[in-house]
Amino acid sequence: MLRIAVAKGRLLDSFLGLLEQAGFECGAVAQASRKLVIDVDRANLRFILAKPADVPTYVEYGAADLGVVGKDILVESDKNVAELVDLKYGLCRLVVAVPKASGISKVQELDFNSRVASKYPRTAEEFFNSRGIQVEIIPLAGSIELGPMVGLSEAIVDITETGRTLAENGLVVIETIMQSTARLVANRISLKTQREAIAALAGALERVI
Amino acid sequence: MNLRTPRGVKDFLPLEAEWKLELERKIRSVFHRWGYQEVISPTFEFYDLFAQGSGDQRQAYRFFDQNGDLLVLRSDLTTPIARMVATRLKDEAKPLRLGYIANVFRYDEVQVGFQREFYQAGVELLGSSSAAADAEAAALAVTIFNQVGVSGFKLDLGHTGYIQGVLSECPTQPVRERIWQLLRKKDLVGLKAAVMTGDLPEHVRVLLLNLPHARGGAKLLEEAYAGAPNEMARNAAANLREIYARLHDYGLGAQTEIDLGMVKSFGYYTGMVLEGYVPQVGFTLCSGGRYDQLGMGFGSHLPAVGFALGLERLMLALELQGLRPEAKSGGVLILPRSWPHALEYAAGMRDQGIRVEVDTENRTEAEAAAYARQRQFARVVVVDAASIRELPLDGEEGSQC
Repeated sequence: MLRIAVAKGRLLDSFLGLLEQAGFECGAVAQASRKLVIDVDRANLRFILAKPADVPTYVEYGAADLGVVGKDILVESDKNVAELVDLKYGLCRLVVAVPKASGISKVQELDFNSRVASKYPRTAEEFFNSRGIQVEIIPLAGSIELGPMVGLSEAIVDITETGRTLAENGLVVIETIMQSTARLVANRISLKTQREAIAALAGALERVI
Repeated sequence: MNLRTPRGVKDFLPLEAEWKLELERKIRSVFHRWGYQEVISPTFEFYDLFAQGSGDQRQAYRFFDQNGDLLVLRSDLTTPIARMVATRLKDEAKPLRLGYIANVFRYDEVQVGFQREFYQAGVELLGSSSAAADAEAAALAVTIFNQVGVSGFKLDLGHTGYIQGVLSECPTQPVRERIWQLLRKKDLVGLKAAVMTGDLPEHVRVLLLNLPHARGGAKLLEEAYAGAPNEMARNAAANLREIYARLHDYGLGAQTEIDLGMVKSFGYYTGMVLEGYVPQVGFTLCSGGRYDQLGMGFGSHLPAVGFALGLERLMLALELQGLRPEAKSGGVLILPRSWPHALEYAAGMRDQGIRVEVDTENRTEAEAAAYARQRQFARVVVVDAASIRELPLDGEEGSQC
């Protein structure tokens, strides 16, 4: 039985839909609302319902053979897992945004040592380093838009789908760091020991994407 | 005062320490029977040595000595052994077969199986470039895991030359570097994008996209040989074929598999590479390969092959397989009612190799029995001038020794 770590919520629904198209009937997962571990014997899959940011950890340790996680979280986690398939849903962008009123239109215009609030401190730091721009990263757990509103930071790095929440909070995007979609990832040892089962699942998913 | 230990280090309390030492004894016994002599290197050395030998030392513990020289706590044993062989063992008959069991230090992110101080056991076979030497190192890795009782251990073999051969078909160095990184990270999504957008010949695209899936046995190696894009890849496939055949001669073919997509983080490998694993553990248990250039940095041409296993990871594998030993009762607690007679009796038992403790606390018989049960003694014996009398240890297994 393959163990697969997935975050609850929209990503899970999309993934279950994709699995069904690929011939893995897993509707039982959506119904079992409170359980954290759900076996679907017919598909030979065990679902481990985890927090999104923890999915790479479960997979790296081998507590799950596979995981479904956004590329943004995968990059931020910097975990040693194999990335198998781009599932193409959950599209969003990781962006740098600033208050519209600041008049800043490029990251190069940010002041030396500007403060940048983010839920993605590692990715944000790497991005600014690669541009040779020195900033102070302020790690936050959520509601990043608050940063500039209350004077905590001059800019933010956060994900956005449509940019609407940003606009509602008076923020404009000045740079896209990366595009993110959901990815199927695998533990590196499971890739060896469960090769056939993983290849079958990954192949079936690729055919319906 | 802070009574915690720093991040990434740990105590081995008696039971665990005994288990670790027992594993080390078994490993040493394999070393010995395969003709590997153990060496002991200094705990710290000059930074330059490790920077030259093992490359990037950002993960190493660095510090200055009184003269202002930059030192480093050893981050592996391969580099110190290459130094020994390039200097003090320079004139020894080759090949040399050396082994080690030692603690090493790295600022890794602390998690299960990755501590900052951890123990490695490994071997280096230096002064040989033969496929038989590669096969011996690989066979020794499998043998050690089998002998310490791990079940279902498997070893994957890859080849740096094969990957480099395929990569050399890429037009530019940045493309080669990028694809190498993607292969190392096993980022198949990124690999696909890089391969499809890069300016690559079709047959190279096919080879690169297939690399992460290129696992198998003799048939895979035949295909790799026949489909090799150049001399370098062809030679690598032929070399691996010979090593793989030799492992079958060792009777270890069933525990060995070919993984042509294996890419190691350590940059110093030049030929066969290997990694070992069991299904219960999510990361590799041992890792190694051929490194023919390492000696060059120390002024000697010394082709070599070796591997290291992580002792904590080995212990974790055994534990997850339900093979962690439990406390065993055994030995004798002596209550000395007459010291000369008790000590004479104790000396006799100790000569037989039996664990003996002579009570130093003037315990009563009831106290002694309770203590003996707690400390897992099999017997309690009261010795006085006239007699040697055994106390019943009721309720317990009461095994005799």
